[in-house]
Amino acid sequence: MRLGVFVSDCQKNDSMLERLNGEGLGIFFVENGVYHAVIHENGRDSGVLQKKGVNYYALASDIQTRGFTTSEIDSRVNVVTYEDVVDLMMNDYEKLIWL
Amino acid sequence: MAKSILFVISRPPYKSENPKLAITHAMACFVADMHIDEEVEPVVAFVGDGVLNCIKNQRSQEFYGIISTEQHIKNQLASDMRMLVCKEDLYRLDIKPERLINARDMGADIDLNVVGFNEVQKEMERCDQMMWF
Repeated sequence: MRLGVFVSDCQKNDSMLERLNGEGLGIFFVENGVYHAVIHENGRDSGVLQKKGVNYYALASDIQTRGFTTSEIDSRVNVVTYEDVVDLMMNDYEKLIWL
Repeated sequence: MAKSILFVISRPPYKSENPKLAITHAMACFVADMHIDEEVEPVVAFVGDGVLNCIKNQRSQEFYGIISTEQHIKNQLASDMRMLVCKEDLYRLDIKPERLINARDMGADIDLNVVGFNEVQKEMERCDQMMWF
């Protein structure tokens, strides 16, 4: 199953994500979820970024709204626009959930 | 003697209006004394993930069509409001001091005051009222 997961909080919700099978998983960082892609809490990358076989996406406008630039985004994460997100939702993922 | 109100902001910006509400409430204190016949001294403290409000170059006007939290903070600084930022949380989130908002372009005499949590704690004890956002 190709599952898309929207992550909109910067608080740790790794435990639920850890349980989800990584194969075919897409994680969309939106709203405050984008902090996972730029902040190094205690010098470490977000635990959410540790899953293998996952496609990560972060919404550019949410990053820039919060004072960051897209060049600061972790290299594992694809920077996308709203239009890209809609295309990915419609074409690449069978099911979508919001954590 | 002025009545001191501490506004503690512990959430990041934008997903909810909560942090911006705290700042506008604090701003309103400057005119509240006209109505309650008592001087009010507001202080704002950013702790926890709330320190993420203090990162400069926010572009919400461009992307969300709303005034940025940054602009609100700059207005406060230009009004000489004391604003504390928790040093430990900046360190935890790897936010360097040069990334913090200032309002020098607006002629502000003060900057965000980076302090240890113990200083925030002292402010909590000193204030007459505390509001947690």
